[in-house]
Amino acid sequence: MFPVSVITGFLGSGKTTLLARLLRDPAMARTAVIINEFGAVGLDHELVETSDESFIQLSNGCLCCNVRSDLVLTLGDLAARRAAGTVPPFERVVIETTGLADPAPILHALMTDRSLCDVYALDGVITTVDAVTGMKTLDRQAEAVRQAAVADRLILTKTDVPEAQTAALRARLAAINPGAPMLKVVGGAVAPAALFDCGFYDAAGKHPNVAGWLAHEAHGHVQHHHKDDITSFCIVRDQPLHAVTLPLLLSALAENCGADLLRMKGLVNVIEEPDRPAVIHGVQHVYHAPVWLARWPSDDRRTRLVFIGRNIRESWASSLIELIDAEVADEIARRREVATI
Amino acid sequence: MNAEVVTFLADSLALWQVDGTVTAGALPVVAVIRAGDCTVWVEQSADDAVPWRWFVRWRDAGMHEERSRPAASLSGMLNAARRALNVERGNALRVVAAAAEGS
Repeated sequence: MFPVSVITGFLGSGKTTLLARLLRDPAMARTAVIINEFGAVGLDHELVETSDESFIQLSNGCLCCNVRSDLVLTLGDLAARRAAGTVPPFERVVIETTGLADPAPILHALMTDRSLCDVYALDGVITTVDAVTGMKTLDRQAEAVRQAAVADRLILTKTDVPEAQTAALRARLAAINPGAPMLKVVGGAVAPAALFDCGFYDAAGKHPNVAGWLAHEAHGHVQHHHKDDITSFCIVRDQPLHAVTLPLLLSALAENCGADLLRMKGLVNVIEEPDRPAVIHGVQHVYHAPVWLARWPSDDRRTRLVFIGRNIRESWASSLIELIDAEVADEIARRREVATI
Repeated sequence: MNAEVVTFLADSLALWQVDGTVTAGALPVVAVIRAGDCTVWVEQSADDAVPWRWFVRWRDAGMHEERSRPAASLSGMLNAARRALNVERGNALRVVAAAAEGS
């Protein structure tokens, strides 16, 4: 499996500068790059130095809308060419989106296409935010808020410029996405290790860094409200849930939240499998099938569910879990009663 | 539990961006939702109504008679309430193969 990282960020926020600098690092030598540019004549790719064979430019439109299928085809073709030895044996793929892209459809493509799921695994979303114009961009552009909300890493660029509003921007981004580590990066200078391997999937086959992946947990049981209407919270539950509760919960989330649930991820303690947690991860209404870890990553066996969405109240999500699980428990008891009659 | 359902439905209205109120009702009505011209009564079904756990009735100004829909689960009750309130949102759940197996 090859990890795929998505670099996104609003127009002019420094995505290409970051990518160009990253690709100069020897650690990134075996990286295939896909750049999505608007317009018939793309310029970003001119700024990125990488081997031609491992570089693909998608310039027919925005990945999140009309060329989503192009991404699927391109990734499939890239894997086939790697297997045939006609491209260098890349070990990682980086996709740079357009500045106007909503990352969710791109994540959906990576999650849902069967041919891709056998070859690629989403590593994470890296979002660049311009420290000079970022506040205004977040005020005016819903795409910028979504890009920040789904990030696994937030990169503050141009913090060296005197007009940078770094402190205010940090506070605002922390309210949108409290779990994502924030890095100040000038001129794209950052170690690849700080940006990659941040997802649940572990390319090296080591024990997955669940705590890092569920970074929101560190922010406790606090719901964050602000003018962007993004809410982010972590529900922690001491009591395990019934296995049947999980699909019912995910279904209810998809049907009631729709596109307003930007991202949901968590570890679940399931009554029927007390010695190993189920990992769930979804973007809007699309979820990975639960992955069962071999064992709990720590002594903490509580269920922890991280929600990032728009207008979703923590009390609603918490009650939804409690009410569904209570209903399941009641139904199990009723069936047992019927069976004993 | 009934108070929790009332609060939960009030939160649901906010999530669905419906301007309305939710109040407790007299059993078997657990909650009464009022939004615009529409009134929705959410009832818990009697024990002998298995498999139905919920019963949702609604009426608005344009309807000649009340409509109703039974539901076997909380999710079904929410679906019925959204239908009563003409809330079009959400998608069917899609579950895809996981990227990694932990065991």
